[in-house]
Amino acid sequence: MVSITIKNLTKTYGNTIAVKDVNLQIKDKEFFVFLGPSGCGKTTTLLAIAGLVEVDAGEIWIGDELVTSAEQGIHKPPQERGIAMVFQDYAIYPHMSVFDNIAFPLKIRGVNRNEIDESVKKTAELLGISQLLNRKPRQLSGGQRQRVALGRAIVRRPKVFLMDEPLANLDAKLRVQTRTELKKLQRELEVTTVYVTHDQVEAMTMADKIMVLRDGFIEQIGTPDELYNHPSNTFVAGFIGSPEMNFIDCTLVEEGERLSLDAKEFKISLTDKTFPELRSYIGAEVIMGIRPEDVYESRSARGTTQDNTVKMTLDLIEPVGPFLLLHLRAGRIPFVATVKQTRAKVGQEVIMELDLSKIHVFDKKTNKAII
Amino acid sequence: MRFPKLGRVSLYVLLVFLVFVFLLPLWTMITTSFKTVQDVIYTIPLEPPLSPTIEPLISSLNIMERPLLNSLTFTVAATILSCLLGSVNGYILTKIRFRGSDMIFLLFSIGIFIPYQSVLVPLVLTMSRLGLYNSIGGLILTHTAYGVPITTLLFRNFYGLIPDSLIMAAKTDGAGTWTIYRLVVLPLSLLPFVVAAVFQFTSIWNDFLFGVTLARGSEAMPASVALANLKGTTEVNWNVQMAGTLWYAVPVLIIYVVLGKYLIRGYMTGAIKG
Repeated sequence: MVSITIKNLTKTYGNTIAVKDVNLQIKDKEFFVFLGPSGCGKTTTLLAIAGLVEVDAGEIWIGDELVTSAEQGIHKPPQERGIAMVFQDYAIYPHMSVFDNIAFPLKIRGVNRNEIDESVKKTAELLGISQLLNRKPRQLSGGQRQRVALGRAIVRRPKVFLMDEPLANLDAKLRVQTRTELKKLQRELEVTTVYVTHDQVEAMTMADKIMVLRDGFIEQIGTPDELYNHPSNTFVAGFIGSPEMNFIDCTLVEEGERLSLDAKEFKISLTDKTFPELRSYIGAEVIMGIRPEDVYESRSARGTTQDNTVKMTLDLIEPVGPFLLLHLRAGRIPFVATVKQTRAKVGQEVIMELDLSKIHVFDKKTNKAII
Repeated sequence: MRFPKLGRVSLYVLLVFLVFVFLLPLWTMITTSFKTVQDVIYTIPLEPPLSPTIEPLISSLNIMERPLLNSLTFTVAATILSCLLGSVNGYILTKIRFRGSDMIFLLFSIGIFIPYQSVLVPLVLTMSRLGLYNSIGGLILTHTAYGVPITTLLFRNFYGLIPDSLIMAAKTDGAGTWTIYRLVVLPLSLLPFVVAAVFQFTSIWNDFLFGVTLARGSEAMPASVALANLKGTTEVNWNVQMAGTLWYAVPVLIIYVVLGKYLIRGYMTGAIKG
């Protein structure tokens, strides 16, 4: 049972806040991803778990062991935390052979030679690099180096894997392939894993749970599904999903029994469903959010009177392969929609329908999700 | 197409001419070393000897042998010590860091610019207090202390190129500060060691001021001082003088020929990353 608990973690570098009041709970065997743009504090948090930076405030527990506590002055060195780390630049020792690289953590710990030999060979086999054991790092490709770095982490059977953008330096094809392998490997080894990335696709595909960070603060913690379908603010909504969610400034108005979103160029009525959460925002400025795949061409070309349709001009079609990316405009408001196919031509007017069950409304002042 | 060609030709002419100019003193030194006293008088320095002899080489070696060994001893010792200390300093200042490490580095940098002459009096006093005046040990200590700032700067710059993640990886792998230095940093330091060693060796070997101040006329006299003493007060035997100079130049020449390749690579590391 290796869970990780972080309480009120704060770390500053001089006057810059790296992370502030981070609280989170990582369950045993969980694949947990820290996601955010560069400089958001995700790597700092990871290094704090590893014991490679000292924190200004807060506690870190690995299992039921308190490894970091600024208040109690506890700072266990990295090697006593049962962690193994994989770095973005792999950080394999350039002067050692692949074998010696993987054997290094065992040698340091004074494991006997036979045992080292056996463990290294087993690990190399698991990763499919047995034939490379005598090579030097400079003779290896990026993908192979990455495996060596993984091997060095796996070989000592750590309680926790910490990975800092391990796929960022691989080319696109290899990255996708390694992504899958890494996920499988984690399942097989059943090791609690903390993984840092700025790539939302990587996070969505690999994670059991994701923490989205910005400027040192937690924006949201949740499963990939929760983050995608129920983002708690505009930042998460915009950061997750590609192409990005459409955001439209609106005023929430009440028309008889119904609420509608008035974007000046068009108006959307929010069906008969009553949204009690929205009641207090009547008359206020809000942001409507809708994902590109929830915007589609209206079946009935004349359905202009419907509550959820908007007349738009088609500016550009980008064929992506599995779908088309439509760049549209409702007056001056830009929209992006993903559709399977379209008969519309560039420059034409199209009637687009918004899926009201997928609509998001955010408070304009706080950027927090209302629904 | 004619002009660039002409340019190229004149460039080579100029370069050959410059090589010739730069090699003239060396040539003069060699020719004079093999001349008899008469030849020195009857030929101009550039001319080869009329009746070549190795007599000057032998007589100068007789005088220079002990000082040359002295110089070799303290130069090698101080070179090794100052390089090792510089390497450790560079490692600590870039990879460990601690409160005040920038300040300490600043002090080291200032150390580079302290002129030798300004410390002579306190140096002599210190050395005699320590009982190291007129001794090889005193010269080793002085040259090591004077070399450490520049080697620290050199190693610090080089270690700045070693990614921090490598050190972090070794830390998580369970290595302590010194184990990391020994197993990871040191094996990657061949280049800066060569550069620092060549630099230190030549400057310590060529030093005259410290040598003449700390070990003049003693058993510990360095070769640079002995070489100056070769020329008498009333007459100068140029052939012996030049032969002594030849002996004196040999170790440095060997170092450059053997390590020149590494030296150029070492100078380049700062310019081209990775």
